[in-house]
Amino acid sequence: MLKLERINAAYKDLQVLWDVSIEVNEGELVTLVGPNGAGKTTTLKVISGLLKPTSGSISFQGRSLRKESAHKIVELGISQVPEGGKIFTGMSVLENLELGAFVARARQDKDRTLKWVYEIFPRLEERKNQRAGTLSGGERQMLAIGRALMSKPKLLLLDEPSFGLAPILVDQIFDMITEINRQGVTVLLVEQNVRAALELAHRAYVIENGRIVGQGAGEDLLSFESVRRAYLG
Amino acid sequence: MQKKGSQVSKKIAISITIVLILIATAALPLVVKKDSTINLAILVFLYVTLSSSWNILGGYAGQTNLGHAAFFGLGALTTRLLWLSGRPFILSLLAGACVAVGFALLIGIPAFKLRGVYFSIGTLALAQILYITVGNVFPMITSLPTQALITYQLVPRYYLALVLALLTIGTAYLLVNSRLGLGMMAVREEEDAAESLGVSALQHKLLALSASAFFAGLAGGAFAYYHVGYYPQFPFTPVWTFDAVMIAYIGGTGTIVGPIIGGIFYVVVKELLALKLVELHLIVFGVLFILAVLFLPGGLVEVWSKIQTAFARRARGQEAQAALPRDTGI
Amino acid sequence: MHVMLVQSLVFGILVGALYGLAAVGLSLVFGVTKLLNVAHGELLMFGGYATFWIFTLYGVDPFLALPVTMIFLILIGVIVYGLLFARMVKLSEETKIQNTLLVGFGLSLILQNLALRLWTADDRGVTTAYSGWAFTLLGVRFPIVRVASLGIALAALGALHLFLQKTYTGKAIRATAEDWEAASLMGIDIHRIYLLAFVLGTAMAGIAGALVSVGYSIEPNMGLEWTLIALIVMVLGGLGSIMGTFVGGIVLGVTQALTSCFIGGTYREVVGLLIFLLVLIFRPQGLFGAKER
Ligand SMILES: Nc1ncnc2c1ncn2[C@@H]1O[C@H](COP(=O)(O)OP(=O)(O)O)[C@@H](O)[C@H]1O
Ligand SMILES: [Mg+2]
Repeated sequence: MLKLERINAAYKDLQVLWDVSIEVNEGELVTLVGPNGAGKTTTLKVISGLLKPTSGSISFQGRSLRKESAHKIVELGISQVPEGGKIFTGMSVLENLELGAFVARARQDKDRTLKWVYEIFPRLEERKNQRAGTLSGGERQMLAIGRALMSKPKLLLLDEPSFGLAPILVDQIFDMITEINRQGVTVLLVEQNVRAALELAHRAYVIENGRIVGQGAGEDLLSFESVRRAYLG
Repeated sequence: MQKKGSQVSKKIAISITIVLILIATAALPLVVKKDSTINLAILVFLYVTLSSSWNILGGYAGQTNLGHAAFFGLGALTTRLLWLSGRPFILSLLAGACVAVGFALLIGIPAFKLRGVYFSIGTLALAQILYITVGNVFPMITSLPTQALITYQLVPRYYLALVLALLTIGTAYLLVNSRLGLGMMAVREEEDAAESLGVSALQHKLLALSASAFFAGLAGGAFAYYHVGYYPQFPFTPVWTFDAVMIAYIGGTGTIVGPIIGGIFYVVVKELLALKLVELHLIVFGVLFILAVLFLPGGLVEVWSKIQTAFARRARGQEAQAALPRDTGI
Repeated sequence: MHVMLVQSLVFGILVGALYGLAAVGLSLVFGVTKLLNVAHGELLMFGGYATFWIFTLYGVDPFLALPVTMIFLILIGVIVYGLLFARMVKLSEETKIQNTLLVGFGLSLILQNLALRLWTADDRGVTTAYSGWAFTLLGVRFPIVRVASLGIALAALGALHLFLQKTYTGKAIRATAEDWEAASLMGIDIHRIYLLAFVLGTAMAGIAGALVSVGYSIEPNMGLEWTLIALIVMVLGGLGSIMGTFVGGIVLGVTQALTSCFIGGTYREVVGLLIFLLVLIFRPQGLFGAKER
């Protein structure tokens, strides 16, 4: 479904990604794990079109994304939950969700999708008229995910959804991600919370210093020597 | 060896050029008797002085001051008032520059609390306040008394403007090649980094502002000496600021030659256009200025150095080719 | 004395509404695109001249001509944005704002001299059959034209407010103002939003200019004064709130009126500028450019 081949990417002169190749198949829940500064967020930016790679190819459902702009990529069915959620704090919860359904394809089904999102995150319905800036950390993350779901994505990219949340909330969020995946949305999950992510995922990639250094089934990677040493202690 | 030699010869060439220009400008009134030419030259010198003085703060210290007319205006106002009340001209001129510096120091500390664009619009607002206030306080036109009109001569005005231009350029040159100048440029590039290296941003900005105000004040004084009659408000009009900024940008900000080339270009093109397209020259300059900001951040100076390096590369290419057979011969 | 004071307060409010209208355009553009368009006053002036032309050449009533004036200004906005500002939106924040400032001044110089060529340096105004009409209430005079202008300013601001709050596109504009990166992840084409915001800003300037040409007068040098007015009001009203901007406009209008009353008309502008400087120095970040908490 999504295929990155030998992607190189840079911020100005600083190269950050080196020959990154990642593949995600339809229906899968794939995770990309690695330490802080490894290039996880950058990889997601390349996929969602916020950063154009210097070389390499990237395709979604057989269609090249190299030249597509960020908003077009959303229309094609890729939606990203950015690092920290990046909700629109000055607007209401409902307005945030409406903006999630901005693309024409999603706007037609807005009401039905909204119902679905409220089913997954009942809390959002309770708070729909509140200003998003007044939400708690966990609620913000739920809103960010809900907002991304509003575009009816085929592929959902999540950038460290567990960051800064209390352990109970982390479990909740991860359960919801599993549930979303079970309902047919392909997921690429970026995490530093390696153990939890590997337990959840069908397959996983390990990224270090901008290079993919390991891949395999989630369970297998749990026993992967360097991963054990580095992240699981 | 050869490289060093060519550098020395380049230095000699530059020195000779400068001396020639100095002789030419000094001799001009002796050779040319046409008032219109002298007037044109005075205009060039005034604009070069004004733009160079703006460049000290705007180009080297990186603070886009949009209230430069205030310094020019204060210099003109003070000089004119003192001079016409019977004080010696030179003292009036210096007093004008000092008032401009005094005002600069007065506003400097609060103004430099503002950074970047806020500094720019803040200085613009300040200059506007002075502009309006001066218009209110001195509503009458100021004219030279009959006695002064009878004895009015263009040549001393010419030399005054020339000396001021040279003084400004020379000081700017010495300043930017000193430690203080390096500090100013460090502040321009990265204010916080400069601070962390022990460069006091505020001190360097204040110094640049004072120097900038001093020479703008002198230019204003020359304006007061040169013009027969004008409204005291006129030297405060924002046009003087914009002219200075445009000249610096078209010539090349943050360089010594930029304002000189820009000033000459400005006056010459203005004259040429005035012959054909009256009042259109400002539109042309607006366009040129925008083009310079958008596509040519280095101004005409950069164009010149690009042409030069292109030529140098070609010349070197030919030299290398010419040298080839001999090398293989040995 | 009382009546005179009330009279100047009324005039202050009436002109203040136009200040608010002028500032809303500048503030919208700055808030969304982070471009500070210092040629805003000249765009406003073109709105005034457009009205003046339509009136003198075709005899069309200035209020009825408002839609045409707006369309004219939208066209100018598209050209100016496409040719100049679109190049700069992608620059880093600091360079962007610096370059737009300089380009804006170049542009204002061009527009100012263009106006000088097209319409000479004379003060122009639109004088209709009803221009002199006024009604008197408790001894206070209300010129019909200026009261109508207040109504139109309110209607325009109200319409803009509803557009931004209620429509999908309006929400996209607000989202882009808050965080362009997150907005583009919603599938919003932010470059189209930038253009739209810019053009909405010039349209607002156009309406303001039209109303100025009817209730007051216009001339080629008016641009800088109006840009400064818009900047002052933007600072007073805070960024991102249309109501706040409108109130800021009224505050400035009233302050100017009181200054005229007690100090003298020639210092009207100075007071606004002084307030502006004080606010800039004592609350530099809280005003504009500040991020949402
Ligand atoms: N906007 C940026 N400009 C320059 N360098 C950046 C930028 N964003 C990230 N980087 C650098 O790129 C590298 C990878 O960052 P990132 O992809 O955010 O890592 P991760 O998400 O895995 O923590 C880091 O070294 C970081 O410093
Ligand atoms: Mg990251």
